[in-house]
Amino acid sequence: MNGAKVIYADPRYTATARQADLYMPFVSGSDVAILNGLMQEIIKNGWEDKEFIAKRTKDYEKLKEVVMKDAYSLENVSKISGIPVESLKTAAEWLGTTKPGAILYSMGITQHTVGVDNVKSVANIQMLLGNLGKPGSGVNALRGQNNVQGACDMGALPVVFTAYQKVTDAAVHKKFADAWGFPDGICEPKNGYEVTVMMDVLTDNPGELKCMYIMGENPMLSDPDLNHVRHALESLEFLVVQDIFLTETAEMADVVLPAACYAERNGTQTSTERRVQMWRKAQDPPGEAKEDWQIISELAAKMGYAKQFPYQSAEEIFTEVAAVTPSYHGMNYERLSKPEALHWPCPTLEHPGTPILHKEKFSHPDGLGIFTPIEWKPPAEVPDAEYPFVLTTGRVLWHWHTGSMTRRSATLDAEVPTGWIEINPEDAKALGIKDKEKVRAVTRRGSVEVPAKVTKDIMKGIMFMPFHFAECAANILTNNALDPIAKIPEFKACAVKVEKIMEA
Amino acid sequence: MAAIGDMFYTWAADADVLKKGECGGAITALQQYALSSGMVDAVLAVRKGADIYDAVPTFITNPAEVAETAGSLHCGTLLLSKLVKDYLDSNKTARLGVTVKGCDTMGLIELAKRDAVDLDRLILLGVNCGGSVSPVLARKMIREKFEVDPDLVHKEEIDKGQFIIEYEGGHKGIKIDDLEDEGYGRRSNCRRCLYKVPRQADLACGNWGVIGDKAGKATFVEVCSKKGANLLDAAVKAGAVKTEPAIPKGIEIRGKVEGAMLNLGNKWRKKNFEALASDLWGTIGRETGRCIKCYSCIENCPVCFPAAEDLKGKSRMVISGEVPPNPMFHLRRFAHISDSCINCGQCEELCPMDIPLALFSHAIRTEGDSAFEPKLGKAPYTN
Repeated sequence: MNGAKVIYADPRYTATARQADLYMPFVSGSDVAILNGLMQEIIKNGWEDKEFIAKRTKDYEKLKEVVMKDAYSLENVSKISGIPVESLKTAAEWLGTTKPGAILYSMGITQHTVGVDNVKSVANIQMLLGNLGKPGSGVNALRGQNNVQGACDMGALPVVFTAYQKVTDAAVHKKFADAWGFPDGICEPKNGYEVTVMMDVLTDNPGELKCMYIMGENPMLSDPDLNHVRHALESLEFLVVQDIFLTETAEMADVVLPAACYAERNGTQTSTERRVQMWRKAQDPPGEAKEDWQIISELAAKMGYAKQFPYQSAEEIFTEVAAVTPSYHGMNYERLSKPEALHWPCPTLEHPGTPILHKEKFSHPDGLGIFTPIEWKPPAEVPDAEYPFVLTTGRVLWHWHTGSMTRRSATLDAEVPTGWIEINPEDAKALGIKDKEKVRAVTRRGSVEVPAKVTKDIMKGIMFMPFHFAECAANILTNNALDPIAKIPEFKACAVKVEKIMEA
Repeated sequence: MAAIGDMFYTWAADADVLKKGECGGAITALQQYALSSGMVDAVLAVRKGADIYDAVPTFITNPAEVAETAGSLHCGTLLLSKLVKDYLDSNKTARLGVTVKGCDTMGLIELAKRDAVDLDRLILLGVNCGGSVSPVLARKMIREKFEVDPDLVHKEEIDKGQFIIEYEGGHKGIKIDDLEDEGYGRRSNCRRCLYKVPRQADLACGNWGVIGDKAGKATFVEVCSKKGANLLDAAVKAGAVKTEPAIPKGIEIRGKVEGAMLNLGNKWRKKNFEALASDLWGTIGRETGRCIKCYSCIENCPVCFPAAEDLKGKSRMVISGEVPPNPMFHLRRFAHISDSCINCGQCEELCPMDIPLALFSHAIRTEGDSAFEPKLGKAPYTN
């Protein structure tokens, strides 16, 4: 790097932390407080980008009213977050005096009951610093999977068609209904349930949802509060799972449809930077496995909709996507075949694509960025006398998500064969727990037996578990509390206790 | 009759090959002859894939398809030696003709030392090589320094110290020195390379030293082995290629070009190694501190092979599941290849974390070579 400084905030001293110039371990769930505190310090020192604020944004005064409160003085933020005042001061100074600066975040920001608040706070501080719409700046969400951006772009959400066109918008609804030409029309123009909400509906209102068709997802390991998820899936009348292996979820299914894996199919994937890239098949799928689009087309034909699913190739489907999706409109396989591919929005065939968003204006009707004043709220569940520690969860480099692929790799299994719970040496000492000792981790939702990893790489008072491992599944423990807007669950903070396992 | 040490200007007899190949298409014609005459069962060469930045190694058994591999691709940053090993392992009696750069040749020699390939089953047509350019950087360089859309370029070459492109509407050349001073140009390991003419191949071929009316129309061929002499003689006799003796002035110029390239290589060695020496352990520690233990450097190293399956678990000094791994993960490899690193650059080229691994292992080998004799031979014991 050409002298750029890296500030890294995480309860764990990870491989990324080693690369940082300033490492700030913090209590999971204190994000808004930290960002508000940094903004207060930046404003106090006059480091805000006054020109950017004046020309490109509105409601700055409203933001100021909140972040300048004494509650967000560095001293108070230090108490909430556990970050020393000196570190916060340094971070504010580097952010305030080095331009441009980028903020990169991942699920640590989003997987909270205040996930939307956290993201808006990141946007607030970047607008305050004028760090938007130019190279080396921005609010950069590092998505959790290679193509999660593409899945969202394709409308794999209950409230939008492709490219975030609202299902409730009458004109949009008509456009899709006309394009698809179903004789009996398409679904009503109203929002559906998010995945996490469906699980609650299944348990709270049995019979409302009868059938579920799950593709390439393993909620029996990846969703919060697995006992709840099991209860929910057992409430279904009919469950179909389409996947490449018999996952924990597929084991519960009435029908399992074998799918092709990433190396066995053509298509595109859209990365976190909105770059749509070609994805080329390397080999044929094994046995009866088929590409997802083939399975869906065949199923549709059985249901009497062969005419609406006439596809012969992934390219034909992409052509349809481009036709009905304004931000993909100028893309086709020929253009995407170039190594650099294209970033959306790319509205016309002549358009070069848009590597950097918001260069001149933001997406609100008046083109201005809106500051949203946000008060810090603690996680839905915080430590108390009975459950005295914060549990946070995440991934490790060696395994991917629910391990359905990576745990079948002998090499990766040799690197990391099972899960663990990270405990700070001081906490471990107080609990009388030794490194590698199997312990019982307990929350209000369940308990798992898991080996302890006693390490100074985790902050005192916080514990961490990777969620890849069915035999010691972190998500037995996590809290199914949701962000009120995004409905994302709070994987990153709940209250836990750890007990020694007594020989009977 | 050709003999070891003889030098010829050689060109294809076939008009089509003459047209498709570079510098008279001699290599294409020789490979074609080797295949059609049954001297080899297959030819391994590199053909153009999606574009000129996409070099694809290809095994060919139909002589008519050899012409598809005519011409050079400087953005093909491949090493063929392990592909050769895999082919010979799975085709137990087959013989293979291979077009090799210096690094391919060195890789095969190292494999042969370890009884991993049988050189008697190979006919190696060496090509002189001034270096290769990573495809991603090449596209960036052509866009930014040449100010040409890289997709419009249909040919590139390195000649007379310049990187030259031909594109729809013209051609443009920029001095390699200038490009490299600005961080473009050849790969770092290629800059340091001192093995420009692969004389351990059976024939060493190339354009350096072809002058006069044959300039651009013939290939300079040095006969380096009995096998090479036999191929050339038979190909001439069968009418596949035509030759005439290289003229003294051409031989002199060939020496000068090679000498200039070696001087440049030594200049880069001095520059790179001195910079590294100023903080050797600090640099190695810092750079390898980004390692994500993907094993790409090991899998692609021509000298590191198979026993590695066992290494993927736990060893005494490299604990499983750590990122970055214990420094021994890299020190172990550096030690293993300390007198065998051929500076092919694959470890560095394919490292997803951009760790300059070839710089480290090359520095270690050259330092060791300057201090210790004799060099590696497989020890007849295990201890």
